[in-house]
Amino acid sequence: MILRRTQYELARRVVGPTLLRLEAWQKARARSGRGPRGGPFGPPLESTRKLKELLSLHYLAGRYADGAVPVAWVTSGFPVELLRPLGFHAVYPENHAAMCGVQRIVPELSDAVEQQGYSRDLCSYARTDLGSVVTGKTPAGRLPRPDLLCCCTNICQTVLYWYKALAAHFQVPLVLVDTPYVYGEVRAHDLPYVRAQLEELVAVAERVAGRRVDPEELRAVTVRAREGSRLWGECLATSRARPAPWTGFDGFFHMAPIVALRGGEECNAYYRLLRDELQDRVKRGIGGIREERHRLLWDNLPMWFAVRELSTLLAERGFNFACTSYTNAWAEAGVQVDPADPYGSAARAYTHVILNQDLSNRLGILRRLAREYSCDGAVLHSDRSCKPYSIGQVDLRERLARELSVKVLLLDADHSDPRAWAAEPGENRLTAFMESFG
Amino acid sequence: MRRAYIERQRQAGRRALAVLPVHHPRELLTAHGVLGVELWGPPGPPRGDGAGRLQAYVCAVARNALAFLQAGGARAVDGVLFPHTCDSIQGLAALAADFGGVAGRTLVFQHPRGGARPSARAFALAELRNLSSALAELTGAPLDPARLGWALGLHAEIDACRAALLDGRARLPMDDAALYALLRRGEWLWPEEHLAELGAARALLAPAPVQRGVPVLVTGYVPEPAGLLPALAGAGLYLAADDYAAVGRRVVRAVPAGGEPFLALVERMLAAPPCPTRGTDQGERIRWLVGLAERSGARGVLVHVQKFCEPELFDVPAIKAAFAGRGLPVLVLEGELERELSGQAETRLEAFGEMLRRAA
Ligand code: SF4
Ligand code: SF4
Repeated sequence: MILRRTQYELARRVVGPTLLRLEAWQKARARSGRGPRGGPFGPPLESTRKLKELLSLHYLAGRYADGAVPVAWVTSGFPVELLRPLGFHAVYPENHAAMCGVQRIVPELSDAVEQQGYSRDLCSYARTDLGSVVTGKTPAGRLPRPDLLCCCTNICQTVLYWYKALAAHFQVPLVLVDTPYVYGEVRAHDLPYVRAQLEELVAVAERVAGRRVDPEELRAVTVRAREGSRLWGECLATSRARPAPWTGFDGFFHMAPIVALRGGEECNAYYRLLRDELQDRVKRGIGGIREERHRLLWDNLPMWFAVRELSTLLAERGFNFACTSYTNAWAEAGVQVDPADPYGSAARAYTHVILNQDLSNRLGILRRLAREYSCDGAVLHSDRSCKPYSIGQVDLRERLARELSVKVLLLDADHSDPRAWAAEPGENRLTAFMESFG
Repeated sequence: MRRAYIERQRQAGRRALAVLPVHHPRELLTAHGVLGVELWGPPGPPRGDGAGRLQAYVCAVARNALAFLQAGGARAVDGVLFPHTCDSIQGLAALAADFGGVAGRTLVFQHPRGGARPSARAFALAELRNLSSALAELTGAPLDPARLGWALGLHAEIDACRAALLDGRARLPMDDAALYALLRRGEWLWPEEHLAELGAARALLAPAPVQRGVPVLVTGYVPEPAGLLPALAGAGLYLAADDYAAVGRRVVRAVPAGGEPFLALVERMLAAPPCPTRGTDQGERIRWLVGLAERSGARGVLVHVQKFCEPELFDVPAIKAAFAGRGLPVLVLEGELERELSGQAETRLEAFGEMLRRAA
């Protein structure tokens, strides 16, 4: 245990940072003498290097976390603030699956679980994660074994089925936060239910961690989590400027810390750095793409395996995604947590995430985003894997187009399984959509 | 015929609600004098203006229901009740409420997930009271608590009969098609009438086994298309143990005793067999299925799922592994709520039947 803890701390604080600095220095040397990135994009964001460092460190430390500190595998919408004071190392299988999506190893991981009887019709994040568990393959080197599984149904019910399978595999406790779906407004009994579950789960987490939550520490984590969400919101808001200083696709990558490191100071320090850089670009008129002619809204998860191709296709024609409902979700829920009432405010905040609210609410969010970011079109990614995000998009397309007089495209794909994306017809549809702007 | 029946019930002073799958407190509807008419599809391809409102990768149960409702299928009833079964039904409820297409009221029932925690009990109680208020609005009359006590007793009797028929399947001189037609009439008949029919069937139970086929356990969603059951019989099999979400998974065997009616209803809900749509633990479900297989003497397992049905599909590997470890062959059959059983499915059933018969 002591040896393991020493390895974990060394990885986090000494070896990891040193290796990463060395790698950064080597890359900088290799780059020196070359001019800025060409093509249709603006100059790359300096902060990206720090982002890579932050995430690499997180995953590197994770390799040594089990046996050193308690480990929790956590869904993206789970109130992780409650676990941080107990010293949990949090692993986000969705974030890890997105990484696998970018590296295009999802088909291989999915095949492994399809052989066990998992259907290809299941969410590709779940298939990726279960495939990684079965094969041990991961771009992170190694994922630590969980002591606790933490699931919140505010994004979907899928995570519950997926985490039940993980619980059966690892034979560890699963704590669930079941958030009643919000039609219009929450009802009198909804939030007390969620709050009571938070109290129940903390009791289990305390048992697993072998210590009690220190209220002062919880307060401090909540303050940081709220600050992190606010900072992330400020980063996103820079895209209200013309030209937007980065692309919506950049935002998908830079959201990783607010998902996986929320509540930690390193997350906030990172977003201060990013915000300052983005604000500076706005002042200097530097855009995410060289020539921004049209601004679009993106709804749903990205297609992780095709981000580069799609962003290039769009940027070459002067199109940028000025905002996305997905990245925006992380700026909206977290700011509602209140250090004076960590349980009650977490119940409220986590019940009100975009996917746990009805379609009128969702339409309202899309409408507001499209107006605030001056979008003249929208692409709704009809994501085969993600039913909760995709159901209703046929109606949303029609309503957005009618109410905002903008062009809207429904694009069929998947967020991480490239086998569900017909690249040529899909790109042709996108091209035809862009041509319709004249 | 169903439409005419609903009309007669309404003329007799009852209200009627179309109810989406699966778990909902029928006892409460009965106590309020509301006839619940369940909507499993209907089978066949979705038709009408609503057919394209849900993407093709959403299960046929949700797609067909939306198309049916939007085409005016719910005109014969006073509203629609959406239990929060899964992301698809939840999305459907949101669509119906926000974008029209459904005449009458829409009601929702959100059951707690993840077992009988104290928080779940409190929420279930509040949710039942909430639904009761909505039903009182629909009928224009508040709930008489004595009626709820009566309805609990009535549904406990129904469950006792259903359990007797399902658990004593080998001794029932009825084929699967006739038995399931009877059991599924409970999806729309007024419960007292259904109980009378069940009682008559129960009286037929023989003292010794009369079924000649090879007994199998079925777990899955809904026994559609209806052609599946004759096909099973044709393959020399019969459903000796039932874990369909639409049928066996709703039969409460351990009936909690008396007490305040709403609290008793909460206990009844929590005592129902494990179901992934209620978020029950996978190990608990497997133990339940193994118990069913052992008690019924099943020689094989049929996993009959709907395409794109995540709650069911996630458990399939665990079910396969559990029965493989016990030497029971498993056949996984995936459907899309077709009107007819496909030739391919029929062939697979025949092969499965032949294998089981050879092993018997
Ligand atoms: S992608 Fe969609 S279905 Fe999959 S885990 Fe995320 S919210 Fe759930
Ligand atoms: S078949 Fe499955 S996915 Fe479809 S409505 Fe029923 S439970 Fe939901």
